[in-house]
Amino acid sequence: MIRLQLASLLVVFSTTLFAQESDTTIVEEDFSMYDDAELADGAKRFCTNKVLDQSPNKLISFGYDFQGAHDLSFGAWGSLPASSVRVKSAQGIRINSNFPVISRANVLLNIGVNYWETNYQIESSESHPISSSLQTRGLRTTGVTATLFKPFNEKRFVLIQSVFDLNGDYSLPDFQSLSYTRVSPTFVYGWKKHDRLMFGFGFSRTYRVGEPNVIPVFMYNYTAPSRKWGIESVFPARANFRRTFNTRTLAFFGYELEGQTYRMSSLKGVEGIANPELRRSELRIRMTFERSIKNFVWLSAQAGLRYPWNFNLDDGNIFRGFGDTPYTLENNLQNAFYFNLSVNLVSP
Amino acid sequence: MRKRLSLLGLFSVLFTAFSFGQVESEAILGVWESGSGKARIKIDRAADKFNGRIVWLREPKDEAGNPKLDKNNPDETLRSKPLLGYSMLKDFIYKEEKNWEEGTIYDPESGSTYSCTITLTDENTLDVRGFIGVSLFGRTDVWKRVIIKKK
Repeated sequence: MIRLQLASLLVVFSTTLFAQESDTTIVEEDFSMYDDAELADGAKRFCTNKVLDQSPNKLISFGYDFQGAHDLSFGAWGSLPASSVRVKSAQGIRINSNFPVISRANVLLNIGVNYWETNYQIESSESHPISSSLQTRGLRTTGVTATLFKPFNEKRFVLIQSVFDLNGDYSLPDFQSLSYTRVSPTFVYGWKKHDRLMFGFGFSRTYRVGEPNVIPVFMYNYTAPSRKWGIESVFPARANFRRTFNTRTLAFFGYELEGQTYRMSSLKGVEGIANPELRRSELRIRMTFERSIKNFVWLSAQAGLRYPWNFNLDDGNIFRGFGDTPYTLENNLQNAFYFNLSVNLVSP
Repeated sequence: MRKRLSLLGLFSVLFTAFSFGQVESEAILGVWESGSGKARIKIDRAADKFNGRIVWLREPKDEAGNPKLDKNNPDETLRSKPLLGYSMLKDFIYKEEKNWEEGTIYDPESGSTYSCTITLTDENTLDVRGFIGVSLFGRTDVWKRVIIKKK
């Protein structure tokens, strides 16, 4: 009896294994049978945060930025007369990161850490306190960026970004107080019309013009039906025309408005200033070429004109709005050629 | 007699454990829709490995009205292969706790192949994480199970 039971068990066991193998037999399939289907449990579909062929997200970026020679002119300031110095170059490393920490169909959260520095080489820098400070201390930005993409369904979404930047003439051993952190939030409500078009409207409190401002923003990402070109923009911060040679070779032509307000601790007390802040803002009109050099490692080469928008000095974090409050010291920069080279690890 | 009964008991326990393992490892089988909704992938088993083929595309034709091909594949000899039926998940092995690992995922839009792990978060949801080298350098896509309507 026991032997019979054992034999039956073996038969069942063998049948199970056999059935397993026969299930995996590859047969020609009629793919049309998969056309009419629905998600299990009535799950919702959500739009994604990119359009087709959009440039890849850079997880880590190591870059070098170089601005060529230009003049820097200072207005009259207290006992200091108007003067000018020659900047031979302004250059430094730029390290950026952007990691997806929450990646669900209905919510995406990316967090990144950034570190930028600009080191100045200035002739006769000691002739003015600002050029002296730039020459000896340079400018630094250390920041954290959090970007939340929240789709509501297949068509509508919200994009919220907050940038927390610490800008100034500090060095890593002599770090700046976190109380000078500048926060730049952006809110966009958008629509994803199809896989090649998404756009949205919103507002941003930004330091891109060198000082705090609240401005409307318009996001527009598009890829043409030919998939050979597209547009990637968050106006007015940046806009780029994209040429797609293939999925691993891209070129862009466009601009970016880049700026921050820098705490200048080395200037405190000069001509009686209590809270010196340098308003730096520049429009970068440029060509960019990006190419995968090995699997997920991309090279980005960018060159163009740096057009100065603002390089004035203020006493405190003043919100001007549409007013005409004068700056403590008005300065002028000449245009300069610039280039930026970076090596990037791109996201899947 | 007692020895035979013990043997039978042991065999029954092993059989039950084996069957349970089989059932759990096969929870991944079926048709799934990617997070973007652009493709449906059918996951099958071949011996002890799990693979997934594209069985549906939201836009199956190119601009000229021809079936889409794998034109972004870095291997030129594969660029004439149709995307429909293409094996984009390869060589996954069931580990434990509803995880399938050691496989790769192919992204036809970029032509890139990534290391990949799959986690069954509930019976109708897969977390598919493609990554570069280590899991930190990656992105998770959430796939939903698809129920095919009978014609």
